[in-house]
Amino acid sequence: MSTGASPNKRRAGEAMGGGFVADPRPQVQADQVLGVRCAACGYPSAPAAPWCPVCQSREQKPASFGPGGTVWSSTLVQIPVGRWKPPYAIAYVDLDEGPRVLAHLASPAIVKAGTRVRIVGADEGGDLLVRVA
Amino acid sequence: MSNRNEVVIRGVGSSSYGRFPDRRVESLAWEAILEAMQDAGADAGEIEAVFVGSVFGPPGVATRTLRGIGIGGVPVLTIEAACASGTAAFHEACEAVALGRYSNVLVFGVEHLSSLFTSGAIVPEASDGEGRAGLPLPGLYALQAQRYLDQFGARPEQFAEVAVKNKRNGTRNPRAQLKGHAPTLDEVMSARMIAEPLTFLQCCPVSDGAAAIVVGRPRGAKGEVKVLASALASGGLWDHRSTDFWGEAPVRRAAQAVYAKTGLKASDVDVFEVHDSFTIGEILTLESLGLCEVGEGAALAPSGHTQFDGPQPVNPSGGLLSRGHPLGATGTAQVAEIVWQLRGTAGERQVKKATLGMVETMGGGAAGMEGNASVVGLMTLR
Ligand SMILES: [Zn+2]
Repeated sequence: MSTGASPNKRRAGEAMGGGFVADPRPQVQADQVLGVRCAACGYPSAPAAPWCPVCQSREQKPASFGPGGTVWSSTLVQIPVGRWKPPYAIAYVDLDEGPRVLAHLASPAIVKAGTRVRIVGADEGGDLLVRVA
Repeated sequence: MSNRNEVVIRGVGSSSYGRFPDRRVESLAWEAILEAMQDAGADAGEIEAVFVGSVFGPPGVATRTLRGIGIGGVPVLTIEAACASGTAAFHEACEAVALGRYSNVLVFGVEHLSSLFTSGAIVPEASDGEGRAGLPLPGLYALQAQRYLDQFGARPEQFAEVAVKNKRNGTRNPRAQLKGHAPTLDEVMSARMIAEPLTFLQCCPVSDGAAAIVVGRPRGAKGEVKVLASALASGGLWDHRSTDFWGEAPVRRAAQAVYAKTGLKASDVDVFEVHDSFTIGEILTLESLGLCEVGEGAALAPSGHTQFDGPQPVNPSGGLLSRGHPLGATGTAQVAEIVWQLRGTAGERQVKKATLGMVETMGGGAAGMEGNASVVGLMTLR
């Protein structure tokens, strides 16, 4: 039961003033995103999936992805969202040989599709942080 | 295919759309259902099943609604497919009638967001990897919009033109949430930035509302609208291999299924109600429906093609941008608008030619997937 500031029946999570919700984000360790790679077809998943969503193989090997990646798109958010204060930049990043992940950009500015970035690490709230390479 | 029953929309109805914090959510649904039942000339006893679209409920809202209107003892199912919940319920009702399971199904969509999101925007879902990472819904669409600018060399003003068009249309819709003012291009462009390049006036409002549809076998009554085809397509993986925008593929798959069933194509359709929760959404949808090539959708509003008096008007109701976006009710509201257009009873917002009408809804917002579901329906007056 939530004891947060907002008595909301939805699963808003602690960052939004709600109760604890298990973390669905990919785990970040130093300059790597942790996940799995399918032993059968090589498909990368982060966070780990119980079996390969492409070939259904149960053999999923622990893998880490990064630090390099390429921006698919980015935007600058200008409204407050939970613990995130505007302006903050967010991007879809295709990690090299890895999955597409959602990342925060260290500098709050839009970068063009195709821009090379590098993982900085996890921020204090556990979000993936990248900077322009 | 030949042993499928003909399916018609017997009647439609809706509440007004807006923020109604002092109204019971059931009362919005009653308003819509009573209008739809009266429009259909249907009795409560004819209804063999009730399919409901709702995202945030509250849980049990369907049954509590039915208590007030004397429908009970029949199967009642609530369907959630994000923004496409209402049209998903509609599609399933059409299929049930087509396949002979029921002869008359009541469909309604209902949502009361003002009592849930009191400070404004919908709070991102903490159990979703992207919602948890601080991606709000306008941000999800802004990522599409920004990619679109990079990939096709479009201009942000072309997105804003969609808002100008739909909000102008909305001023003719007495049930719309934002019916008071038609902003200029400058006003849309200079409105507060929400997530670049999408300004406040390019984002749909948080809404309460309900709409209802009586789907059934034809009886030869005046105003029956034939459902030529409807299709639902859920999202597959959207990942590092994906070159298109999330959401495009489900819309394309649903549209292709409808075109395959009917032998018709996008250029045959006279009037559209499509998912414009954010301006970029209408553009990507029209491309995915096949109205134009990929990368050309941004030109459709500025060129006049999709304007109210253009050759293929899109969102004469004002769309989600103006009518409002009571999530689960949106799809049913879109169907109601197309029914009124096809009957020629849309009043001030009646388009010139309305023989074939199309509805499209896209329910997005699941990390790593193309979306929850897209529904496309094609209708004509019987
Ligand atoms: Zn595999």
